[in-house]
Amino acid sequence: MGNLSFGGTSGILVLLAYAVIMLVIGYFAGREQPGVRTSVRGYFLAGRGLGFVALFFTLYATQYSGNSVIGYAPEAYRSGFAWWQSVMFMIAVIAVYLVFAPRLYVIAKRESFVTPTDWIRHRFGSTRVSILVAILMLWGLANYLLEQLVAMGQGISGLTGNTVPYQIGVIAFVLVMLTYSWMGGMRAVALTDIMQGIALLIGVGVLLFGSLYLIEGDIGGLTQHVVATAPEKVGVPDMETSVNWLSMIVLIGFGAAVYPHAIQRVYAARSERTLKRSLAIIAWMPFLTTGVVFVVGIVGIKLFPGLSEASSEQLVGMMANEVAGINIFFYLLMILLFGGVIAAIVSTADSALLSLSSVISHDLYGRYINPRSSEQRQVLVGKLVGIAVIAVLLLIAWNPPTTLYNIFVLKFELIVQIAPAFILGLYWDRLRAGPVFWGMLAGALFAGVWTVMGEEELYGVPAGLLGLGINLAIAALGSVAMPRRHDAGEAAAAAKAAAG
Amino acid sequence: MDQRHDEHVREPIRSPWVWVVMALIVLAGTPLYLPAGVVEPLVFGIPYWMVVSVFFTIAFAALTSWLCLRRWNLVEQREEAAAEAGDGGMSWEI
Repeated sequence: MGNLSFGGTSGILVLLAYAVIMLVIGYFAGREQPGVRTSVRGYFLAGRGLGFVALFFTLYATQYSGNSVIGYAPEAYRSGFAWWQSVMFMIAVIAVYLVFAPRLYVIAKRESFVTPTDWIRHRFGSTRVSILVAILMLWGLANYLLEQLVAMGQGISGLTGNTVPYQIGVIAFVLVMLTYSWMGGMRAVALTDIMQGIALLIGVGVLLFGSLYLIEGDIGGLTQHVVATAPEKVGVPDMETSVNWLSMIVLIGFGAAVYPHAIQRVYAARSERTLKRSLAIIAWMPFLTTGVVFVVGIVGIKLFPGLSEASSEQLVGMMANEVAGINIFFYLLMILLFGGVIAAIVSTADSALLSLSSVISHDLYGRYINPRSSEQRQVLVGKLVGIAVIAVLLLIAWNPPTTLYNIFVLKFELIVQIAPAFILGLYWDRLRAGPVFWGMLAGALFAGVWTVMGEEELYGVPAGLLGLGINLAIAALGSVAMPRRHDAGEAAAAAKAAAG
Repeated sequence: MDQRHDEHVREPIRSPWVWVVMALIVLAGTPLYLPAGVVEPLVFGIPYWMVVSVFFTIAFAALTSWLCLRRWNLVEQREEAAAEAGDGGMSWEI
């Protein structure tokens, strides 16, 4: 994100105010919550007590990060109208939730699951499958967290006109995030998500308002301008782009829905009623978030024609500068926008960090390293490991990788490989641990190597999706080839439990 | 209470036709089947294919939301009954 001429002192004041609000919320979240320091369920799942408002905002603020604004507007700028796919793939995430969340919620409550790996261990009873799932989740979460840290630093230095350098900005907000997470665990994360989600919604709203103001609200004129100057961005996309559009709906739909912090929000819901009512509304949120950002990116085609790929990454910063220059009212609105972006980044980072801590402390430390440790000790280990991981990631974040969107796709390449074990395991009794393990490993290796080698997509189909196909084929065909078991499996038991 | 035969017990995965409709909506919202590069006709100043895609995207969200509210009811009655009986878990709810 580019440096903003408006930023400076007012930007620092907004960030300070946000930091103080987050800390106060974290303090009260920890103080009022029984068992937050002594129980893994209390700390990592808010004692399974998230009500409608907290659950809605924590699902929302976790799903949409700062990248949904500062990374997606340049995508719309470069791809044109084909980037409408971002609205569809965010709805697809909720559709995929509906495939597994109803049944998993019931089983998780009955079996007192804490992490997604708990379900895998319960279903397959296999150490190697559980460890592979944990590794894939940790890889995905760490990469996700890294992306948030990079975006956080760029956002903060942009908002404050480089008054606050990149590194100092990241460290300051990381300390705020670690402090409130330490005090209140999942409940603090969820309650700060309310404030952060509202800040994001306001931020996206004012960005749309400012952008439309700059083109005097003339949407028809905007389209005509794009038709005249960049017809390739407005016509029906070619077949490869359309195939990629469909692929992204499948890849991100499945990948984002099985993210550990997403699954833990299913576990943390206070009741089925709160969970389904939250998801019913979140199905519409893409229109208000990625849909709005899409329009902003298209407006950018008219306002800033001919930007290179690298320059277009600065699009939101450039537009904010233009809007802030109109008058003091818009100047203040743009401060709110960047505050919202920072809040969105922090809200996604804290969820990923908490989930990562839970996988290490509960699945690895509490299960294999020190199985006789108390829950209190596991919570403490989780907190300390979280700090250590952040420290390592910060060192990597000082040298940010290529464009944000490329990192985003990289995460899904691997995390989506846990989907067959997770979802198919709920419904298909014959699915067996061996084929699931080899399928997951083959899919992850294929997708990882393909991506690292920098190979092109195959007719618009990303490597992660090809890997998922291989994964699914090995898991399904391998299971069919194995002799039937005579005992009733968990899928049958789950169906029975779900039926009443 | 055994709710196995309760007609209110519902799970989205058990309505296969809904998922077929959803797949068709997603396919219809993706411009795979339209001639590449064509912009016109414009509808309200927007290319027709975009209007088609937006329409099916709205249908996608509507169907997903409807599934949440009308085709998902596994343990709600039991949980609500338990909550009314004073066994509602945590005392705080936001």
